[in-house]
Amino acid sequence: MIYLSQLLGNPVLDADGEKVGTVSDLGIATGEVFPRITSLAFMGPGRTPIMVSWRKFVDTYDEHEVHLKVVSTDLRFSFLQPDEVLLARDILNKQIVDTHGMRVVRVNDLKLSDTSSTQLRLLGAEVGARGLLRSLHPALERVALRLARTFGHPLPERIIAWSYMDLVERDLSNVKLSVSHKTLDDMHPADIADIIERLDPRLRGQVFAQLDDEQRAGAMAEFDDDAMAAELMGNMNETDASRMLSEMDPDDAAELVSELDYDKAEKLLRLMGVQEQRAIRQLLGYRENTAGRIMTSEVATIDEGATVADAVALLRGLDEDFEAVRYVYLTDGDGRLSGVVTLNALIVAEGATRLSELATQDLVTASPEDDQEDVAEDIAKYDLLAMPVVNDEGRLLGIVTVDDALDVLEEEHAEDLRVAGGAADGEDSGHASALIWLVRRNAWVALWAIGVLALAFVVGGSLGLGETLVAAIPLAVALVLADDAVSYVTNFFIEHDPDDEDSPSMIGFTFRGLGLGVALGALVALIVLALESVIASPAVPASLDGLGPVLTTGGAAAAASTFFSFSSSPLYLAVLRSRDERNKETSGFTLSMVAMLLAAVVYLVAVVALAAPMGLVG
Amino acid sequence: MADRTRDRGASDERDARQRLQPRLILAAMGPGMVAALAGADAGGVATYSNAGALFGFHQLWTVPVMCFLLIVAQETAARMGCVTGKGLASLIREQFGVRLSALAMLALLVSNTTVTLSEFAGIASALALFDVPPIVSVPVAALAIWLLTMSGSYRRIEKVLLAIACVFVTYIVAGVMVGPDWGQALINTVVPHVTPTPQYLSLLVASVGTAIAPWMLFLAQSNVVEKNAHADDLPYQRVDTVTGAVAASVISWFIILTTGAVLHPAGISVNGAEDAAAALAPLVGDYAEALFGAGLTGASFLAACVLPGITSSAVCEAFGWERGADRSWAEAPIYRGIITAVIAVSAVVVVIPNVNLFGIMMIAQVINGVLLPVLLVFMVLIASDRHVMGRYANSRLWNALTWFTIVAVTVLTVIMFVMQAMGMG
Repeated sequence: MIYLSQLLGNPVLDADGEKVGTVSDLGIATGEVFPRITSLAFMGPGRTPIMVSWRKFVDTYDEHEVHLKVVSTDLRFSFLQPDEVLLARDILNKQIVDTHGMRVVRVNDLKLSDTSSTQLRLLGAEVGARGLLRSLHPALERVALRLARTFGHPLPERIIAWSYMDLVERDLSNVKLSVSHKTLDDMHPADIADIIERLDPRLRGQVFAQLDDEQRAGAMAEFDDDAMAAELMGNMNETDASRMLSEMDPDDAAELVSELDYDKAEKLLRLMGVQEQRAIRQLLGYRENTAGRIMTSEVATIDEGATVADAVALLRGLDEDFEAVRYVYLTDGDGRLSGVVTLNALIVAEGATRLSELATQDLVTASPEDDQEDVAEDIAKYDLLAMPVVNDEGRLLGIVTVDDALDVLEEEHAEDLRVAGGAADGEDSGHASALIWLVRRNAWVALWAIGVLALAFVVGGSLGLGETLVAAIPLAVALVLADDAVSYVTNFFIEHDPDDEDSPSMIGFTFRGLGLGVALGALVALIVLALESVIASPAVPASLDGLGPVLTTGGAAAAASTFFSFSSSPLYLAVLRSRDERNKETSGFTLSMVAMLLAAVVYLVAVVALAAPMGLVG
Repeated sequence: MADRTRDRGASDERDARQRLQPRLILAAMGPGMVAALAGADAGGVATYSNAGALFGFHQLWTVPVMCFLLIVAQETAARMGCVTGKGLASLIREQFGVRLSALAMLALLVSNTTVTLSEFAGIASALALFDVPPIVSVPVAALAIWLLTMSGSYRRIEKVLLAIACVFVTYIVAGVMVGPDWGQALINTVVPHVTPTPQYLSLLVASVGTAIAPWMLFLAQSNVVEKNAHADDLPYQRVDTVTGAVAASVISWFIILTTGAVLHPAGISVNGAEDAAAALAPLVGDYAEALFGAGLTGASFLAACVLPGITSSAVCEAFGWERGADRSWAEAPIYRGIITAVIAVSAVVVVIPNVNLFGIMMIAQVINGVLLPVLLVFMVLIASDRHVMGRYANSRLWNALTWFTIVAVTVLTVIMFVMQAMGMG
């Protein structure tokens, strides 16, 4: 084994032992799985770059020097061939995509085949810590290896073979690559999208430009981040962008177009084919988050009088990139949807069988204005692979497929989690650490501390420290209950859809909120009263005597605050629903912070208002 | 988003390029301002207050010089980002290989850790004005900063911190209120005045380190890369750079002016936050300490949130490790480890009992100044390389100015150390 880092900078000696320069680079022929080293680049006298053929002129080489077969005057210079790549210039220290492990990595060193063999070949790129250490100093690598072995954690090399490298920074489209060279193009669009999301913004555009139309369309539909997809789109030239849109499924394309600004979207749509354009425009005509928006208009339909053989002929004649067919839909003379035939039924039936005999007539359909969540839930409920979307006359407009339904459910689930205030807040979704979760759950402590400060500020003049603290004890209860009030609202919001007939009405909810407020407020007041009578009882030392009225005041204020928190719950519900209506995301955490702040304010106001009548002041 | 696409469209049309569009200028402004106001952090306030208190107006001349050099450095960084689309760490690694980038990253790591340290010292001494002991304030601040950096959510409170840091604008009002000798101040701004003592020289190195901090270069370039600005967007980036640098310089000029007019004649040397706050007393009287404390906390907290992230991101970028706030511990252990280590080291040093907090802030700026040339050399070599920068390579003037900064700071540092070694301090 020899590494590029050990060869670079070594002296190059000619047949007479005369030094002609130092090694600066190696060229490889890209057409093989383990590419041969084809040329040697070295820095000649006066820093002139020189390149010669490896096969013709290199005699022997090792970690210390390279010997040439001829004297310096007999050297014939060569030039970089179109299918050659320079190791140090194009690969070393650069970012590459490991298409096997599907990660973006930086090349720390390059591993070459054994020095004893006649031909020197590239084995792969070293991307692990060992390559780094070796490049810093070979001794460091040895020390690290020994240490690692002592502690029983062997330090393996992390080699990526040439056939699994994709040099993202260099456009290799005009370099002839080996047949086995697995590039980004061969990967699944979802994996390509993952990798592109991990690159720098500029590289994203470059890599994206290297993909072919089909891969681009596929990857584009798979991006998690709509804004990033729209930006990539913005950086493409308009003809390419519109061609890619035509390539995509109309529902994905419509989603993407809706992210662009109006002028750009119009321009792109106008450049597209008439048919695709119409499909996308039609989808864009429906409101966001409706069945119409996520349906695809690519459906296999056939007249209900047709036979199985006709249906098979229809399927055979479909375009290659037609949306995967799960059902064949039947239409009657007026174009209304009259039945559906599954693929299984088609396959097992005789060719002459009439489709109407195989068809299921009692269809579950959706209207284009239906909420996407309802449609997705129905698809899950009825175990469908696709649900037809029909207009008021019963005409088939398109289908919502199960993969889109899964996306919808995932999206809605994430939204619900956010409202519930648990975890998952925008960018740190999934990675929110336990500590953050704890801090959020216990935000009332911070608010309580602020409340105590504010209380001290408001009544500080007339009360001592101990009395202020005692008065603030019930505030903690009020804050926790305010937090609970919000959880009560969010739970209700997640469980009940306003459009469901059987969900409780707003008026009912309001009364329940009021009832809970009265009940819990009374409970707080009672507990405080009980505490006060304990303090006042002869069993307790007299030093606590003065605290009775303070505690009562605080308790009464907390009771008022609790009542306020629960009775305002319909307001929170209204806010949640109206924001949901406008497709805005709401964080449950923010909501409970607002509720707790309000509770603290009500408590303070109540304390000030009650201070005089309760005999605290003056 | 819409801005970006339209921006590209506009620059495609040649006629639109002749005049800058005001709306786009406003859109580009921001990162420069953040860097400028975060520059008025603990170290900055300490250095400038000291400069004013010790030497009166005598160091005012450094402000316009620093402003100009800051513009040169920041513009180069932003231009490199626009042209290559890569971060500075990435470029250093690709141009100079593993060994030299290890050197550069070590310099950055040391310099940024000391700056973070000085931010914590700033938070500790600012909160000490409110009678909160460091043993309480520092762990709480460290935990908060760690959580904010780890979850990547500090951007949400960035604006709040910026608003708090704007308190330092009061120095401008205070400067006007104390009614300094304007003629004298202006003359000192234009005419250099050098006192050959180690104290003066180390203050000079510290002001360079404060004004042109290495982390600002990395921040400026990564901002541009994140926005994916192209060479066409350069005019807008330049506007941002210049306004940010000028704003930062105006603030530092007024800090020196105010402290020079109030503290210097009174013979007060700045040994702690309360001394520095005293400069604001003529304006706000009893509230001086509260105002100063709030501003110092805000600015230091902002910088302390930004710094560990930038450092770790640059190191991971250079060595090809996963990075980003949206990566978990399992995915990016080194990225998160460096952030944690930087914060932990800084916090632990600051809570050492009886440590001189203002001393830490000053020393950190000197270290920053000493390490600055190392990173500037990398920057100027890459920026003048036509293979990398094409027709946007550094002009002769820019090269000369950067090399001037490098040589000047190096010479000052050497003289400073020699004088200290000879016991002239």
